[in-house]
Amino acid sequence: MSKKSRSKLWFLVHGWLALPIWFFVLIVCVTGTLAVVSQEIVWLANPEIRASKPSDDAEPLSYDQVISAIKRAEPQVIVQSIVRPDESHFALSVDLSYPDGRSVEVYVNPYTGAIQGISPAFDFKQFTRALHGWWLVPFSNGFSWGWYLVSALGLPLLASLITGLVVYKRFWKGFLRPTLRVRHGARIFWGDFHRLSGIWSIWFIAVISITGTWFLIQAILGDNQISISSEPIVPVIARENVPMSAPGVPAPMIALDDAIEIASQRIPGLETSFVFLPLNAYSHLQIGGRGWYPLMYQTAQINPYTGEVAVSHLLSNRSTLEFVTESMRPLHTGDFGGLWIKLIWAFFGLVLSMMVLSGLLIWTKRTALSTLHALKRSHKAPRPAASIPAMQAETSEGNR
Amino acid sequence: MSKLAAATPSPLRAVWLKWRFHINVLLLLVPLGFMPKYFADAALFRGDSGIGERVAGEVQVGPWSLTLAEFRNEGPRPDPAGPMKFFNAALCAACADQVKATYLRIGKPRSLRAAGVIFFGTPYRMGALLPVPERTPANAELWVTMEGWDGTMHQGSISLSQASPATIAWLNKQGVKP
Repeated sequence: MSKKSRSKLWFLVHGWLALPIWFFVLIVCVTGTLAVVSQEIVWLANPEIRASKPSDDAEPLSYDQVISAIKRAEPQVIVQSIVRPDESHFALSVDLSYPDGRSVEVYVNPYTGAIQGISPAFDFKQFTRALHGWWLVPFSNGFSWGWYLVSALGLPLLASLITGLVVYKRFWKGFLRPTLRVRHGARIFWGDFHRLSGIWSIWFIAVISITGTWFLIQAILGDNQISISSEPIVPVIARENVPMSAPGVPAPMIALDDAIEIASQRIPGLETSFVFLPLNAYSHLQIGGRGWYPLMYQTAQINPYTGEVAVSHLLSNRSTLEFVTESMRPLHTGDFGGLWIKLIWAFFGLVLSMMVLSGLLIWTKRTALSTLHALKRSHKAPRPAASIPAMQAETSEGNR
Repeated sequence: MSKLAAATPSPLRAVWLKWRFHINVLLLLVPLGFMPKYFADAALFRGDSGIGERVAGEVQVGPWSLTLAEFRNEGPRPDPAGPMKFFNAALCAACADQVKATYLRIGKPRSLRAAGVIFFGTPYRMGALLPVPERTPANAELWVTMEGWDGTMHQGSISLSQASPATIAWLNKQGVKP
């Protein structure tokens, strides 16, 4: 095959990868962009989720102090978990069990322990993530087919990146001489835009497509019951290790702050940013947080009666493969280094959405033009060499 | 488009050529169609619509009692460890502090050690994943065992047909496996 016809072929492949599904890809890109900053959008819309300081020198409460404050305000509720968001401008996310059977997230002020509000029935954060992640298709048996549908897009995205770089001759020159011609008509503008944003998004498209493909692999592994996790299975607390007490008097548990203190002493470097309280009398207290490697969490399961660390799952326990696979999700979502990383991810998510649109515009404008030429010619001559004009129009892009 | 020039296209073909790349807009019907289900599920998980899709009734367990509900009004779901049915429950208001643990089992347990699967959660809302063997007889009883903080034990039962008609329908559909 000649060099020219090979580049024609690459060009066609590049176009065909996203074109027949452009709207689906666009919505997945847009909802993904929204999902990255969904927590921030809720922060802007709902004052209840903000962690306002009552005074400049206010100190955050300890976990036990938070629970006491909640119990004072609502004596009937049971605290199930407390999560301290990475960014300090967010209120604590606390799961509460109410006597009427509701189990809901509430926003608690980290300085005062006041319940600032109950999460609304329409959870924007969860909704955008569900729409982006599995197209709202329910999980009934294993992974939802919507999950497969969306995560499979990782492959054409990766292929678009590779074919895009192949057809864009000497693309690295675009870094040195950025071109964005605005006065030469829409077709030229969108072509320049597509190439310019493409080369500056190489890293981002690579990250999103590889991590997206990982979600596909994850579903395939999960649905075939293949596990690569080194996470230990935590046995329940043995019957004889749960103290007996008087009728109607629950066995006394150690204070949460003491449990965290004990675990931090035993496991150097264990930061606690979330606690899950025991799920029943024989279950452990789970604490955890990020370690030195910000993309992964470390956890410890603690006996709530004695403070003994039953099981821990630390960075040092992870296999090399797990360092790669567990990093995939935070790399995809941009959730590992605070607000700025999220904003960078959201910006490039928007650029990627625009690339889908500009790609579509380029194709339709060119197709419209070449169709017009082709039709004109067919009126003039009964049997023209039909495929040539269209192909020339396409490859002129590649050889530019 | 190359073929387009070869022959004057029929109107149908022209429509196809014009719209073929936009048919995928119809994929949007998928999330739109699942949206009511998504919000119903969200309400179910939050407990806004109660402790389960179908409340089976009260089960008296010695001096205590609980409200048993099917989390979903459906038969057991397949699982690598065999078919599983998820039940939710809420303890009676007076017994929330009294009960150390609650267990669920098909058939009467011989001892506390064989009381079945344990409920996870709070007295207001707890759940247990119950294995349902395909050979379970349709007249089986569901036994609830409760353990007090001093080690006392009480038992009570409810017929499986009352606890989950959908599971009975599922068992009848399974038939007797060879």
